[in-house]
Amino acid sequence: MAKAELKTKHQTEIEDSSSLKGTLASVFILGLFIIVSWVSVYYLFVDRF
Amino acid sequence: MHMHKFEKIWLTFGIGCLVVFLTVVGVSAFYLGNKPASCLTTINPEKVDTTKPFDKPGLHKVEGKEWDYELVFVASAFSYNPAKVEVPLGAKVKVIATTKDVVHGFEMAGTNINMMLEPGYVSEYTTTFDKAGEFLVVCNEYCGTGHHLMFSKIEVVK
Repeated sequence: MAKAELKTKHQTEIEDSSSLKGTLASVFILGLFIIVSWVSVYYLFVDRF
Repeated sequence: MHMHKFEKIWLTFGIGCLVVFLTVVGVSAFYLGNKPASCLTTINPEKVDTTKPFDKPGLHKVEGKEWDYELVFVASAFSYNPAKVEVPLGAKVKVIATTKDVVHGFEMAGTNINMMLEPGYVSEYTTTFDKAGEFLVVCNEYCGTGHHLMFSKIEVVK
């Protein structure tokens, strides 16, 4: 039996779902936010008498 | 165990931050000797007026101690004694405070002097007054109907 040939020339690009780039970016954005907050509060504490 | 390269990066970053933060807190507590303001010294709250040093509230020069002055405050509903005090700029001062009745707060606005005053306990904080100006002392523990009227002033003068 002849197979029906699928002529799909254009391939849909599927992003690799195992990529962790976005996760890495969000972890570092959150991390930097926490560090900036911590350092600014610590500076406030050191600067005051 | 397989671990993604990125996972290793953020775990190192996270654990590293934790180590740094805890080290700073540890050095502050164990090397610099920072501690909570309530120093576990007890006092009979009914005899505050006759107990030293609270029988003479205000600023006193002291000799032979690590600090130059002792600033004694007595809080009661709804005022502080003294109501206004002058401290010379650059003086190393030990602030000693207690309350005669209920729990009061002792916050010198814009500084690190921020203590809770509990009946029966003495709170203290030692620091160098290195900024001139007039500072407001407010009660930040709700103590009753006159809570918002309870304040004192500390003037740091040259």
